[in-house]
Amino acid sequence: MSKKLFSLALGLLLTIGSAFAQTAAVSGTVVDENGDPIVSAAIQLKGSTVYTMTNSVGEFTISAPADGTLAISCLGFHSTEIPVNGRASISVTLTSDAEVLEDVIVVAYGTVRREANTGSVTSIKNEQLAEIPATSVDKMLSGKMAGVSITSGSGQPGSTSTIRVRGTSSINAGNEPLWVVDGIPVMNSDNRQMSNFGVGGGSSSTYLNPNDIESITVLKDAAAASVYGSRAANGVILVTTKSGKNGRAKFTARAKVGAQQLINDHNYRPLSGEELLSYLRVASVNAGYNPDDPTSQYYYPQTLLENGTTNWYKELTRVGLIQEYEINATGGTNKGSYYSSVSYHKNEGVFYGVDYQRFTARVNADMKLTNTLKTGTKINLSYSDSNSGQMGDLYYSNPAYAMFSILPWTPIRNEDGSYNMNIVENSKTNPRANADYDVNNDKEYRLQGSLFLEWKPIPQLTLKTNNQVEFDLTQSRQNRHEFTHQGTAADIEYINKDVRYTTSNTITYDDKYDEHSFRVLVGQEAMLDKWDLLGAYSPGVDPAIPYPTTGKGETDQVDFNIVEESLLSFFGVADYNYDNRYFFQASVRGDGSSLFGSQAKWGAFWSVSGSWNIANEKFMSSTRSWLSGLKIRASYGVNGNNNIAAYRAYGVYGAINYAGATGMVPSRPENPNLAWERNKTWDLGLDFSFFDDRLTGSGDIYYRKTSDMLLSKRVPYTTGFGSNFMNVGSMRNKGIEGQIEGVIIRNSDWFWSVGLNVAMNRSLVLDLGDSEFLSVADSRAGSNDSTPVRIVKGMRLYNYYTRDYYGVNPSTGDPLWYDKNGKLTGDVSKARYVYAGSPEAKATGGFNTTVSWKGLSLSAYFEFVAGNKVFVADQNIGYGSDMNNNNTVGVLNYWTKPGDTGVVPKPVAGAPSQSYRASTYNIQDGSYTRIKDITLSYSLPENALKAIRMKGIRIYVSALNPYTFHNVKNVMDPELGVLGYTMGASHPMTKSIVGGIEVTF
Amino acid sequence: MKKSIILLVSAVVSAFAVTGCKDFLTKDPLLSQSTDITLSSYTGLNNATFGAYYYLASSGWYGQSWIIDAEMRSGNGKKTAFRNSNRCVQPYIWNYTEDGTSGMWSYCYVTVAQCNNVIDNLEGKAGGDVTEQDLNNLKAECLFLRAFSHFCNVLTYGQPYTYCKKSAPESLGVPYVYHTDPNGKPFRETVISNYENIVKDLLEAESIIDPDYVRKGTTDELATVNISTIQALLSRVYLYMGEWQKAADYATKVIDSKKYKMWTAEEYPKVWGAEKGSGEIIFEVYGNITNSAWANWEDMSYLTSPEGSGDPAAAKPLLDLYADDDVRLATYRTDEKEESNGILWTTKYPGKGLNTPDANNVVVLRLSEMYLNRAEALVNGAQIEGVTAWDDLNAITSKRNADAYTSVGTLDIQRERRKELAWEGHYIYDLARWGKAVERTAADYPLCSQNLNVPFPSNKWALPLPKSEREVNPNLEQNPL
Repeated sequence: MSKKLFSLALGLLLTIGSAFAQTAAVSGTVVDENGDPIVSAAIQLKGSTVYTMTNSVGEFTISAPADGTLAISCLGFHSTEIPVNGRASISVTLTSDAEVLEDVIVVAYGTVRREANTGSVTSIKNEQLAEIPATSVDKMLSGKMAGVSITSGSGQPGSTSTIRVRGTSSINAGNEPLWVVDGIPVMNSDNRQMSNFGVGGGSSSTYLNPNDIESITVLKDAAAASVYGSRAANGVILVTTKSGKNGRAKFTARAKVGAQQLINDHNYRPLSGEELLSYLRVASVNAGYNPDDPTSQYYYPQTLLENGTTNWYKELTRVGLIQEYEINATGGTNKGSYYSSVSYHKNEGVFYGVDYQRFTARVNADMKLTNTLKTGTKINLSYSDSNSGQMGDLYYSNPAYAMFSILPWTPIRNEDGSYNMNIVENSKTNPRANADYDVNNDKEYRLQGSLFLEWKPIPQLTLKTNNQVEFDLTQSRQNRHEFTHQGTAADIEYINKDVRYTTSNTITYDDKYDEHSFRVLVGQEAMLDKWDLLGAYSPGVDPAIPYPTTGKGETDQVDFNIVEESLLSFFGVADYNYDNRYFFQASVRGDGSSLFGSQAKWGAFWSVSGSWNIANEKFMSSTRSWLSGLKIRASYGVNGNNNIAAYRAYGVYGAINYAGATGMVPSRPENPNLAWERNKTWDLGLDFSFFDDRLTGSGDIYYRKTSDMLLSKRVPYTTGFGSNFMNVGSMRNKGIEGQIEGVIIRNSDWFWSVGLNVAMNRSLVLDLGDSEFLSVADSRAGSNDSTPVRIVKGMRLYNYYTRDYYGVNPSTGDPLWYDKNGKLTGDVSKARYVYAGSPEAKATGGFNTTVSWKGLSLSAYFEFVAGNKVFVADQNIGYGSDMNNNNTVGVLNYWTKPGDTGVVPKPVAGAPSQSYRASTYNIQDGSYTRIKDITLSYSLPENALKAIRMKGIRIYVSALNPYTFHNVKNVMDPELGVLGYTMGASHPMTKSIVGGIEVTF
Repeated sequence: MKKSIILLVSAVVSAFAVTGCKDFLTKDPLLSQSTDITLSSYTGLNNATFGAYYYLASSGWYGQSWIIDAEMRSGNGKKTAFRNSNRCVQPYIWNYTEDGTSGMWSYCYVTVAQCNNVIDNLEGKAGGDVTEQDLNNLKAECLFLRAFSHFCNVLTYGQPYTYCKKSAPESLGVPYVYHTDPNGKPFRETVISNYENIVKDLLEAESIIDPDYVRKGTTDELATVNISTIQALLSRVYLYMGEWQKAADYATKVIDSKKYKMWTAEEYPKVWGAEKGSGEIIFEVYGNITNSAWANWEDMSYLTSPEGSGDPAAAKPLLDLYADDDVRLATYRTDEKEESNGILWTTKYPGKGLNTPDANNVVVLRLSEMYLNRAEALVNGAQIEGVTAWDDLNAITSKRNADAYTSVGTLDIQRERRKELAWEGHYIYDLARWGKAVERTAADYPLCSQNLNVPFPSNKWALPLPKSEREVNPNLEQNPL
């Protein structure tokens, strides 16, 4: 963009100063291959300073001698020269230069030619995202970028993802990358109170219509990211939305329809009535009871099956429908351009009562006020409506939990067709009734509006101010219906309001002397964020008017919170380039944050980097025929992580209410020295391309050390607190990553490309203050055991730590563990604890291929995770501990006779051996390869389009997660979140298939 | 053009101006108050003192666990297959390990720190309307709560005092924290030393509190400390120490204060779900739905109701003690739909009728206990003029439709104490100080997969210290496991 302006400004100067020879006016038009006019193409009379540009319909007039030659150029197109030959009118067609376009990538506070980039970045264009049937951008990126790992903790429509760039660098500060949309860092918190996604962040992408996105760049190393200072430690995701294209208005309409179901490629399921009954009878007998004796505590007669059985898995799940409709328009003149879109998306969940709808509307408009002054605005509105059903972890009303635990001989409905509410084994809760009667709803309204003003008093100098208001209003409602809640209705209402003001102001000076090019940027940014929450809980509301207005005053409760956060920054970047061979960059940023202690408010962050473009060296001219590009890069920098909750530095007393009066209790010890976590990163990289860019690739090796880690360190309770938040600890991540893409066939009819990306990251905890390890708290640890994940000094970040399970005693069928002396024991309390692997993958990545023939195209993306362990603590592996619930197929392979090996413990009613206790038995290899998406599309040929006067019609069918290869037992799907374990995850993962059509006119 | 430039420049300048000031980076929390400010004034100290009662009501202490764990361990409670949400298993089967033990430790020291914060900052805060006596009243409340916290803690993690005194004088109790130190790693003291410190704090509290002092502003005056509260706890502590005369003396002070009135047989079944204490109640923990939308599911009312989780039911050996017309049987009921085949649950926590799950006050000290304390002290040799042990027992039985005693022995007193104070968290500590084993049969105690019988003495009577605490304070020696 700036290049275009630069040439514009230059052109104007040149035109003014030109002298006239014996010439005549020559007029003409410049069009692209499709016949669309090209705006702002430069037309120069060769060998002179005579210069003009095309107008908004691609027309130009220039004074030229009859024997002159016109040089026509425009960014994104191959330049051409045309002799006038005495003509008065000339029509010119420029062919697009795709490579030239790709040459520019979006980086921090601007763009850079790929050739000049010194940091480690990965970028992806819209075309690689558009068809995938996922609700949000983050899910589409999965497996597509080296070193960028995207994990879902929930398959619920509208849920967010956990994104890790080059591993996890922090224990208690956040690990989410910074999202920057159109140059401004945006909110990332998820305020939906009823969603049960369990992630609590990563919302930056959920309100964007994926089709509005022009490109996404991920800044991975310090050189690329450090200018974002205290928020850059986890990488930066730069999202650029589409801008208007000059030319006549062009409309694109899209429609998608599809279906979704649970991923369950290994047919994991609850036991059937027959299987369960026989299992429970064996358990009863094994415990010394008679299952046919009505007075027995464990009475399980065959008659239980007499009235038929219910397949709860089937009854509680469904095929969910997906729909998406969108229309966008783009166009412009040489004075201004616009892109606008509206979209609607609806995804019905695979469980009853779960769905997600989203409307988005966007207007991006740019306007040239004068030749030196430009302004523009980008406005995105989104409204989402999520019904989350009852997908909270381990609740009786959660169908993902209950479908595995309600007894098969318990009917879902009574004989009269009403819901059976007397499900004793599920706390009298029928999840199917909850889905119909209860409400768990979030409505989120998000507005993002920015306005920029850019002034270029001279071509080299750009002053820009970019200001944004972001507003998020989330309204949440939970209504517990009297029918599903023992006759007592309750209502919970929440309103979250988050407003963020950001101003970003930069001054850039960009110039070139001979072979020396340089750019200096200084800037200032400030952010103020105010979040507040108001909640009301009204038990005992009138079922006819189930709102807090009918609550009883004395039992109503109010929840209220206000959090304010501010950030003030100053920064500078300097680039230098000698002859497109040697590149250097340095950046520095000072950030002040309200989050930190009075003694540690300000932090300084910086980076230096350089690259050597070997391919541009003269001595490489002999290899240019096959080696089209070769560059090495190196960078070092320091950036920070301020991603902690507000007010952590304050020692505070908080108000409590007790016995009708207010008192104060200490809620946190003081910490005036609370400061940033620091990340120091080395990166060495290599970029290469062969055979006229048919084969391109890059590789990086990096080392990233986190120090001053914010840890909530345990302290003795005798100090009055169980823990204190301090800057102790350090860890490092190191790794290698690479990606390679090749075009194997490229001719007029056929095209075949393949791509591969791989990343390997190793974490190591160096120091945890005075602790040797920390336990990772996770509510899903369940009631049976404490959490099995530990952070241990001298080991990888996450490690499973649990009882050392040997297996089943072949002669008795009881479980055996190793005790601390390495001897076998049947007493679980004597079992030793061992470290048993890590949920961190040894390698992650993806590969893809696209084959096309004429208008027909087939593309497939695969994602893989290798060398990680998962902790499968399925809720119903009880071996008789729970005789009142169903079990899963995992228990069927139990010990039946002496000599059986490779089996699970025999069921014994009451499970006196406590065989259900967490142990290394639960740990499995979690590697998997997922077919992430497959898309088959067909674009109508041009002659057919012309007949119906359309610019493009494309139809496609696309599948998301159609199949996953893995060997993990007792799970539906092996994607189990960053900690790799689950106790009946809130909402299991899904697969979907959609068909769509895209019409451009 | 000119206009636009002015606009641009002024936008940039104003952006700097707005953000330039230093205050921009200071965002104080609006919903909490800094520790320094809280402890710098009488008002703050008064609020901080009142806050020190708060954790008593949490479900990890008197809100639930303290009572239920005691009942489930002692044999008063049993689990049933009819209502089994897998709660209350640990105390029932005495499955305590250093990884999974009582949480009393944390509640004790968090409360102790609250008390110490006040006690250590009282000096010099008198003046204006604030008198030295005002400060002493706060101090007395804090001393009481500090003593009470340590008392609960040593009962949990130490062997009973009477056993230590007789057979194991070096047996370890808990650290008695007089000054909370952010860097402190205190050692355990002996059980005997703990009791000495408890008594010392309580005696000081008794000596400095204004005899007429009652904290103002609460809806339940009996949820806070007055002089009789201190004396009643002293009676219990002395009783637990086998200091019979002192136990009897302090019980007498409370009884003779005439502030408390025995519940009649008519009242007895109906007093338990009251909004605030009256009648017999000397000190109670106030239960209410707190300012969180998710509270009370683990509190007494929901837990002990067969229409709630209903895990703790009443065991037959306890129920068998009551004569058929004893009014105390009316504090038991079966499930509403009568599907449980006659299983009984306590109704001492019926809920206040606020909500489901409901809240309930939990009695800590009441008048019947004072009579029982004194009766036990009297049969063990204490003397109070004009009072006999059977007088004291009959003060209770006469109000319970139970037969009067004409003479009493130790077993009578033990049985009456169990009957009267069942489901109030006493019996397990009574067994401990009496040196009696827990004896349970598989028939009466279903789902009890281990430790049906717990002999006395045994290491099991002192629960393991939490491993997590020992990892950060290596000075703490673990109990023999």
